[in-house]
Amino acid sequence: MLAKFTKSIIAAAMFTFAFVPSSFSADTIKIAIVGPITGPVAQYGKMQMDGASMAVDQINSKGGVNGKKLEAVLLDDVCQPKQAVAVANKVVSRGISFVVGHLCSGSTQPASDIYDEEGVLMITPASTSPEITKRGFEMLFRTIGLDSQQGDVAAKFIIDEIKPKRVAIIHDKQQYGQGLAEVVKKQLNASNVKVVLFEGVTKGSNDFSALISKIKGLDVDFIYYGGYHPELGLILRQARERGLKSRFMGPEGVGNKDISAIAGEASEGLLVTLPADFTTDPANAGLVKAFDDKKLDSSGPFVMPSYAAVQIIADTIAKSKSEDPYTVAKLMKKSTYQTPIGTVAFQKNGDLKAFKFIVYNWHADGTKTPAK
Amino acid sequence: MKQNFQNAIIATVLSFVLLSLTIGGLIQVEGIETTVVARPWYVVIGCTIVFIIQLFRDQLVFVFKGFGNVLKTLVRAEQIAEHAIQLKGSDRFNPLFYLTVLICLSVYPFIVSDKLWIGMFIDIYIYILLALGLNIVVGYAGLLNLGYIAFYAVGAYTYGILNHFYDFSFWLALPLSGMTAALAGIILGFPVLRLRGDYLAIVTLGFGQVLVILLRNLGSITGGPDGIGSIDRPTMFGIEFSRRAKEGGVPFHEFFGLEYNSIIKDFFFYFLALALVIFTIYVISRLVKMPIGRSWEALREDETACKSLGINSTSVKLSAFAISSFFAGLAGCFFAAKQRHISPESFEFIESVIVLAIVVMGGMGSTIGIILAAIFVAVLKDYSQDLQEYRMLIFSLILIVMMIWRPRGLFPATRPFIKLQNRQKSQECGC
Amino acid sequence: MQLLEQILNGITLGSIYALIAIGYTMVYGVIGMINFAHGEVYMVGAFVGLIVMTILSSIGASLVPVYLIAMLLIAILVSSVLGWSIERVAYRPLRGKHRLIPLISAIGMSFFLQNFMQLSQGPRPFAVKQLIPGSFTVSESFSISYMQILIPVVTLVFMVLFTYFISKTKLGVACRATEQDRRMANLLGINTDTIISVIFVIGASLAAVAGVLVSLYYGTVRDTMGFIIGIKAFTAAVLGGIGSIPGAMLGGFVLGFTESFASAYIGGDYKDIVSFVLLLLILLVLPSGLLGKAEIEKV
Repeated sequence: MLAKFTKSIIAAAMFTFAFVPSSFSADTIKIAIVGPITGPVAQYGKMQMDGASMAVDQINSKGGVNGKKLEAVLLDDVCQPKQAVAVANKVVSRGISFVVGHLCSGSTQPASDIYDEEGVLMITPASTSPEITKRGFEMLFRTIGLDSQQGDVAAKFIIDEIKPKRVAIIHDKQQYGQGLAEVVKKQLNASNVKVVLFEGVTKGSNDFSALISKIKGLDVDFIYYGGYHPELGLILRQARERGLKSRFMGPEGVGNKDISAIAGEASEGLLVTLPADFTTDPANAGLVKAFDDKKLDSSGPFVMPSYAAVQIIADTIAKSKSEDPYTVAKLMKKSTYQTPIGTVAFQKNGDLKAFKFIVYNWHADGTKTPAK
Repeated sequence: MKQNFQNAIIATVLSFVLLSLTIGGLIQVEGIETTVVARPWYVVIGCTIVFIIQLFRDQLVFVFKGFGNVLKTLVRAEQIAEHAIQLKGSDRFNPLFYLTVLICLSVYPFIVSDKLWIGMFIDIYIYILLALGLNIVVGYAGLLNLGYIAFYAVGAYTYGILNHFYDFSFWLALPLSGMTAALAGIILGFPVLRLRGDYLAIVTLGFGQVLVILLRNLGSITGGPDGIGSIDRPTMFGIEFSRRAKEGGVPFHEFFGLEYNSIIKDFFFYFLALALVIFTIYVISRLVKMPIGRSWEALREDETACKSLGINSTSVKLSAFAISSFFAGLAGCFFAAKQRHISPESFEFIESVIVLAIVVMGGMGSTIGIILAAIFVAVLKDYSQDLQEYRMLIFSLILIVMMIWRPRGLFPATRPFIKLQNRQKSQECGC
Repeated sequence: MQLLEQILNGITLGSIYALIAIGYTMVYGVIGMINFAHGEVYMVGAFVGLIVMTILSSIGASLVPVYLIAMLLIAILVSSVLGWSIERVAYRPLRGKHRLIPLISAIGMSFFLQNFMQLSQGPRPFAVKQLIPGSFTVSESFSISYMQILIPVVTLVFMVLFTYFISKTKLGVACRATEQDRRMANLLGINTDTIISVIFVIGASLAAVAGVLVSLYYGTVRDTMGFIIGIKAFTAAVLGGIGSIPGAMLGGFVLGFTESFASAYIGGDYKDIVSFVLLLLILLVLPSGLLGKAEIEKV
């Protein structure tokens, strides 16, 4: 037994050493792009990966930064807090000091704890929860607006344009969805619009028939949903099937063609708050063409913010001639950038100084038009 | 051979039906259009594999049997060797051997000095802790607990909540977490332990599900699906391991006048986990030799006989449940401190199955087997880049194959046994 | 009016549970094991249904009954083969061993199937097109969607077919005989191995029907959909008295109603808890269920 155990220990040790990472090449600047590559919201991850990879390619084809090439390391956090922590530890142990991600607010929050402590600079192109930047981390930035801004736009639209009498608010109990739902609820309450139902649904569930019957019983004429498209798609579809005719509205987390695939005709007329469509900006025409040439869709809400995030990191490294994330972060707060999402400057806490959300009308064929 | 050939043909036809409409067509969603792309090669490959396996079934069974015999001889040799050591008068506890292992494990982190490889061992230690705990219930007491990870969750959330709301330190919360988990074990065990084996399994599974649902829904306490974040790390005699210490604290590197290096923290967690594992192994190895441990095993073998011998089966089962949950609680508390963020996903049923796979693979009731299986599973689970996608497929296959081939595991526990010529030893088989 | 709708929801949900619960209860009645992989058979059935539907729509089929019949029949075919193979590979070699051994093997099988589908199609939900959209409006606040009529009707058809099979045909009589006393049936010249296979095939077919119906009703299919619903259907089987076929149907409907009302009046978040608590209570208070016969454990 003695011999066997010793042998197995040695075997285990050898096994371990055999896998020790072979080399650290310092001739590239690694940027980790972290988002959901698999899982229910992988579509958003694709937008992020497409945007960021395009930026890396374009910068490299112009000769890179300070003579070095950028290297995009794509990592998958499945939009789960648990995986986000695991991936963040992986980023740290691989010695990567720049991150573009994560995507879901619920993942960004725990991951940023680790990045902050280990000195990794992070730009999230998609997480909109205000909580993230409230903690005063020095190396945390975002190239997208906040739920408070988005919720304000949504609430204003509901109050001024829809003028409903009884509103139901549903959310998915996650940081992003619930946070938004609460902002909207607060605004509606302040303007004396009656919120008759405020309820959470479980992410990943597919039977909403009881909830829909309940909403029908409450005689609701407008419904706001805070969360992502897989659940809202099913709610829409099941609601229309059951004869619930109220109008729905959702945040940018539902603005994805998949919602039309799930809900079919029921997605016609859905209201969505999205970042302004950057692809129509004439200054981006060349970039949009580059995406089209590669057969990638550039119209997703997170494509351009991700592109901008990589570009900002690269520009600042070039300008500061340093790859030290602390130096880069300090300079980043003082600088102004010209990016596909417009002129970008950061506040002290890492939020953008300005970001615009617009309300769109969603159509059953997966397209959108601005709602007025 | 002819029989085999016929069987192989039938099996191939059936797998063709099965595969062609599952893996043979890939569902693709482009915008709002869904299409199916045919993947004939997958079906062909799958059918060929089935055909070959069926054709050479006898030979395969022969190989498996042979391998099983080799293992059996190994285990037998181990038993004899162990017996020989005992006869020589030395106790089972061989200080030199254990010291060597301990020294090896202690210098390991300094030799590799790499976060990834230290982290891997920390994960292995957590799995060892969990598997040893589950082994008490499944291996020794013979009760299938499918909701074991719930007690891990109780431990983790105990620390998370105590730390988040009341600023409890890790060291204070560690025993509390263990005890809360044990209490949860008793509360669950009290009504359900009367149930028969498979019903008990389903009810424990249900308990695990209920707990995860509660964690998701009691947002104001547990943080809902987002979980609890920014949990404090443990300190070492009041010294912290972060870059910047909290109010009034001193970070480790400043205390010793060193440059900040986050790997120091990994060293600390490594040794903390190692200490927990050693503590667990020690306690369990003592427990199973005590009357309580003996009655667990006796109860597993024959409940009726035990009852007629005056063993209170409910309290014996409860003690197994509580003690195993206690270790899960400790592991959970450590996990929360290491991750600094806990969320319900870490405590899904799948995790229970992984721990169960370790116990089943390692040999129910066998400590060494479980340690080896935990190493295998942890490495396969998180550190094999190429196999990542297939790991759960592999685990599930292991469960099936092990049940058919060696239901008592690769390294079944050494039972205390009587040698007829050595009569005074017979007390050792105490029931 | 909300009450009426919730009753309707309960019937729809109950039909699904009843269909799946029959598979559990028959297998348990005959070989005394919980077929943990049964929920996964349902999931595979749903996937097959979706694939058939997509193929049909790409070749331009337009008649709704064609879709429905093709989806159901092919899903039943594939699931039957699957049910048969599962029994052959993972359970038959373990017959006669300790109770927990086939259970662990079944858990392994369940995860194997789940991961197999995940690897072959991807770990995300797939949308299922609406086959029969629209609803039957009674009044402003009360309407019945066509799917909610279709599901109980299809369930009823299959229940009638199944009841006929089990009570009138020779094979059905053999099934019941095997269930009552396997050894005796064997002595009387019934090949019980074949009968056990037949039982797995029937259970799998009914699960596949449930899978196709659910995917059309809710609108998505994904790899993890079988797990929870499998446990709930098992709860339904226990509720009705495990081993009893009418019990499984009754149990399914009772559970369906309980869940609908729980999510309407307690909150949707807690409906899963309600069914687990129900399971625990029945096992403790009424272990033989509503229609089951009390089991005497022999020593």
